[in-house]
Order: sequence, then C-alpha cells, then structure tokens
Amino acid sequence: MPAVLLIAGKDLRQRLRDRSAIVLGLIAPLLIAALMSFAFKGTESFHYSLGVVNDDHGAVASQLVKSLDSKASRTVLSVVALSSASVARTSVRDGHVAAALVIPAGFSTSLSAPHPESLAIVTSVNHQVEANVTRSIVGSFTAQVNADRLSVETALATGAPASSLTTLSAEAATLRIPLQSIERPIGADQLSAISYYSPAMAIFFLLFTISFASRSFFVDRAEGMIERMRAAPLGPAEILVGKALSVFVYGTLSLATVGVITSAAFGANWGSPLAACLLGLALVISVVCLTALVIGVARTQRQAEGFASLLVFGLALLGGNFIMISSSPPLMRTLALFTPNGEAMRGFSDLATIGGGLSAVARPIEAILLISVVTGGAALTLARRAVS
Amino acid sequence: MAQRALLRCENLRRSFGDRSAVEGISFSIEPGEIYGLLGPNGAGKTTIIKMVCGLLEPDAGEVSVEGRPVHSDLSVRSLIGYVPQDIALYPDLTASENLRFIARLYKLPSDVVRQRVAEVLELCELSDRANDRVDSFSGGMKRRLNIGAGLLHHPRLLVLDEPTVGVDPQSRHSILERVQEFGRSGMAVLYTTHYMEEAEHVCSRVGIIDHGRLIAEGTRRELVEQLGERDRIEMSATGNLEAFAAACRAIPGVDSVATTSDAVQVVAGEGRRMLPLLLEASEQIDVTVNTIDVTEPNLEAVFLHLTGTALRD
Repeated sequence: MPAVLLIAGKDLRQRLRDRSAIVLGLIAPLLIAALMSFAFKGTESFHYSLGVVNDDHGAVASQLVKSLDSKASRTVLSVVALSSASVARTSVRDGHVAAALVIPAGFSTSLSAPHPESLAIVTSVNHQVEANVTRSIVGSFTAQVNADRLSVETALATGAPASSLTTLSAEAATLRIPLQSIERPIGADQLSAISYYSPAMAIFFLLFTISFASRSFFVDRAEGMIERMRAAPLGPAEILVGKALSVFVYGTLSLATVGVITSAAFGANWGSPLAACLLGLALVISVVCLTALVIGVARTQRQAEGFASLLVFGLALLGGNFIMISSSPPLMRTLALFTPNGEAMRGFSDLATIGGGLSAVARPIEAILLISVVTGGAALTLARRAVS
Repeated sequence: MAQRALLRCENLRRSFGDRSAVEGISFSIEPGEIYGLLGPNGAGKTTIIKMVCGLLEPDAGEVSVEGRPVHSDLSVRSLIGYVPQDIALYPDLTASENLRFIARLYKLPSDVVRQRVAEVLELCELSDRANDRVDSFSGGMKRRLNIGAGLLHHPRLLVLDEPTVGVDPQSRHSILERVQEFGRSGMAVLYTTHYMEEAEHVCSRVGIIDHGRLIAEGTRRELVEQLGERDRIEMSATGNLEAFAAACRAIPGVDSVATTSDAVQVVAGEGRRMLPLLLEASEQIDVTVNTIDVTEPNLEAVFLHLTGTALRD
C-alpha cells in the first residue's frame, strides 16, 4: 500500500473512532440545520389576521372590505370583523389579530368633501411586518381613491358641469392607476430556510475539520509519530499528502452525508447533484489547503488551535453560515465572496433557486479553487517546514 | 582483517542559532558492535542520533550506512531502526495496529508484516496484549513496544536514544539483555545513555561526549587505563560542598574534583592514602562527611578526569 494511503487510512480510522468526529461531522450539522429551519419556518409562508372595524358601511368602505377579503388578499391575510375601535385595540394588544383597520363612520360620504375622514391602522411592535403590509395595502387603496378624486376635480375644473358629479365619480371609480409593479424573480423557486441552512451548517462544521486536523498533526508531532514516519524511507511530501488526503476524505464524507440526509429527511433543495458534488469537492479542497496553512503557520498545538478557531469563526461569519448573506450589509456581501464558504453558499443558493447545472456553479468553483491555489501555495512551503 | 564499518560518521557539525550542539564528531560502528555514546544531558547525544537517522541535516560532515549517504539516499533508512527517547506510539491504537502501521511505513509486504508483528509482540512479551490500546499499557510495556517498533523491518543498524529513561529496574534489566542479544545477532547498535553503569554493562565500545565534542573513545578497559593507578573517592556530605571541593583540589596528588547535589567526587592516585587529608579538609571548613566510597576507576571517573565535572548532576 502506498505510504500516502497508509497514513490517510490510519488518520481516518483514528478520526472515526473519536465520537466527536461523528458529532461534529454529522449530528451537529443535521441538528442545527433542522433547528434553524424550524426557527425560520414562518418567514417562508407569510400570513396574518387583520381585524377590520367598519363603522361606515358606505359604498367605498364596503369596497375596501371586499378587496381585503378578496381571493388574492387571502393568500396573505384573513379578515376578522371587529365591533369597535376599542375592541380592535384590545385584539391587537392581546395578539388575537396582528393589526387592525378602523373605517370611521361617514368615511364614504366624506370623500366628496374637502377634508375626508382618515382610515386608522392599529399596530403592535410585536407584528411590525404585518403592520407594514397593512399600511401598504391601505395606502394602495387610498392612492386609488385620491386618484379618483383628482380626476373628478380635474374634470370639473376644465368645464364639466357640476350636475355631472355623480356620473363622473362613478366613471372615475372604474379606472385604475395604470402604472403597476410586477415581480419577476430570477429564481424559479423561493429559497427555503432548510435549503439555506443545510449547506450553511454542513459547511460550518466542515470548517471545524481545519481545527481537528491541525491539532491532530501537532499531537502526532508531540507524540514523536511524525519523527518516526520521517525515520522511515518516506519523503516529507508523502507524509503531508497522506495527512491532507484524510482531511479530504473526511470532509467529503461529512458534507455528502449531511447533503443526502437533509435532502431526504427535511426536503432541503441542494440543486443538481452533480453540480452540488463538484461545488462541495472544491470547498473540501480549500479546507485541506487552509488546514495545511494553519499547520504551516502555527508552531505549537496551542497556536494551531487558536489560529484554527479564528479562521473557522471568521470564515463562518463572513461567508454567511450563520445569517442569510442576502440580509447582510453590502460590505459583508462583498467580503463573503473572498471566502471559500461564502462562494460555496452563493453557489448552493443559486442551485436551489435558479437551478441549472454546472454553469450555475462554475463561477463559485473557479473562485474557490483560486483561493485554494493561493492558500495551498503558501501552505506548501510552510507545512514542509513543520514536517521537517 | 578489519571489518568494514556499517555506520560511519565523519566530522559531523550542527548548530542551532548561535549555539553549537555538535562540533566535529567522527566515529564508526561495525556489525555486531554495541557502541555507546555516554555523556550528560545536553551533551549533544540526541542531536547526533537525529543526524544518524536522517532526521536532522548536519551543517557539515557526512553520515553513511553501508557506505551509502543517509541524507541523500532515502532508501538507506530501511537499514536503520530508530528507537526515540520518548515513547512514539499512537496511544489510541492497539499494540498490533501500531506495529502494523510502522511496519508498512517500511513498505514490507502484507504477509511479512503479519509475521514481523507477531515476532515483535513475542519479543516484547506482549502477545497477549496485542489487541489492547497502548494507552492501557504500563510505562515498561510501552517502552518495550517502542523498542520493538524499531526492529520490525530487521534493521542492520539499531539506534537507541536513552531507551531506559524512566523505566523500572526490572524492565531496564530486560531491555539491556535484549540490546546485548541484538549485538550478538550481528546487528550494529548505537546506544546513547547518561547512565555510566549501562554503558559499562552493555557497550563493547564507548564514546564520551561533552559539550558536543567526542572527548574520548574506546573499550571500557582502554578508557579506564587512561587514568593509570588512580582511585575514585565519592564522599556523601553535608555543608558547603563547593568550599569542600575547593579544599580537596588544593591537596597535592588530587587530580580532579567534582560536586553533585549531595556528594563530592575525587579522582586521585593512591586514593586510600588520601582519605585522612580529605577528612581533615572537611573538618576545617565544617563539612560533615557521612559516607566514603573508594572504588576502582570506572567510566564516571574517566569522565570526571577528562572534563572536571560529574557525569550526573
């Protein structure tokens, strides 16, 4: 058996006998991905109850209530009829409804007067998103009403007889503001929390391999095993490659297992299997290079543990393993692209939303391999010194 | 006809920064010979061992085994069995897993690996513990297995770096017997120690190292004969031992004096006649001599005579 395979096999055997390897490589990423998915579950299917107090019962008020209770609106909210403004306030405060709309008495008739009655929205700090959605819907309705009023006023000002006010108002009510925004997402599918956090956690715990493998190297050295290997007819490169191979195999196994289980058990979307595999392999190569870099830079086991911890948590924070990178500030989004895990997260997100095959991940793979070449080159020189 | 040397070290030099660890060491070992490198801690023994095994590049000089240079020919390492000073075994692997791994590092075929692992386990008297993890072993068992790991590939040269440090007397005796057997089997052995008794007991030839220099070399008899008709007097004492040593040095006929933490060692011609003078000196400076031991010269006396210091602190 070649020495490289012998060393890698021995390292893997030791690694897999260590229970922490199973915990960190498999159980922890699955558990945390599932927890994250559970925690963010509500954000994917937004829906809330809106209390409505209709003290007006006029034509416009009825139209507003009808539009809130339309088929289109029901995908976002459910209307709950409430008896009074005070009941609305109590219901919002107690959380029975997320927000409430109060249509005051005389609202419909006041629209033809110079100072129409205002609609009131009752909100709670605990339901900010629902309050914003209600504001947006009501704002859209009032914009339409104001447009109607403006068109009638314009007709009268340009010479239409005052006797035609009722007719003009009826005609204006049938018109719609022509400019509308239409959402056209570039991704065919929505990115579910489990589809984001499955690769995020798998990658985060893969990064821990840097810590384990570098520490294991220094333990081997302290126990005299590196020296014993060097006393045998082996070159330093064979020892290094053997150690790197064990990191590669362990990382690949961990990533692949988490991928398969989260897809099958939690419905995570990793996209095209081939593209996901290639992206994962590129990432594991970068982890191998980063491990070698830590071994090369550190002089002692303690230093290696310190450097590895900094690297793992730094990369995880920058690369978007803890929070969705899309909701980070622009600087963080840019910095993420300088990290192999950030590039990988972008690749996995694209695979889960835009879909596509190798073309979707070609750019992240290129970037990860470039990072690997840079870190690996530096590591090669430094890590040879560590072995020697 | 003289045998061709199996190991030849020529003018080895090695420094670490400004500190010179080995300064121009040359020696050779023939097959079947047990060569002891005797010297105090920090004398440079381990540095020499590491250069011999190819683990450390010398700044100057050359090491060759069977005429092949160790540092430029990787395959030469198959001829060398290295037993490091500290236990170099994986504690979380079993004895046989450790041995199999190390045997395969030397590229032995699978059937040979099986046979050699069984042989070594037998030699180390650990056959019944073959499948136990090394971290469950006693210190002596680990030491034996550590030595066995260096024998798996049947080396021509066995290099043992202080193999008995921290070993109980029974295990030490067993290790020393084994080393003598290796020598008798035709293996060349390079053995470092700071225990004079071990060097005297085991080694057919001894090189005395101090401050990175080989200050004397020869058989025990040859080395001791350098002292002529001298005796070694060891006085365990309490009081100002440095002052006592200085007083001893002033006595005519005393060749060399050294102190340890609780004794003063003197090398002198006709040692027994010196005793009254030495005791008188101790009384004058109020040092109490508890025991006196007058012996024939040994390697420790040689070391004291050559360096003016004791072999052990």
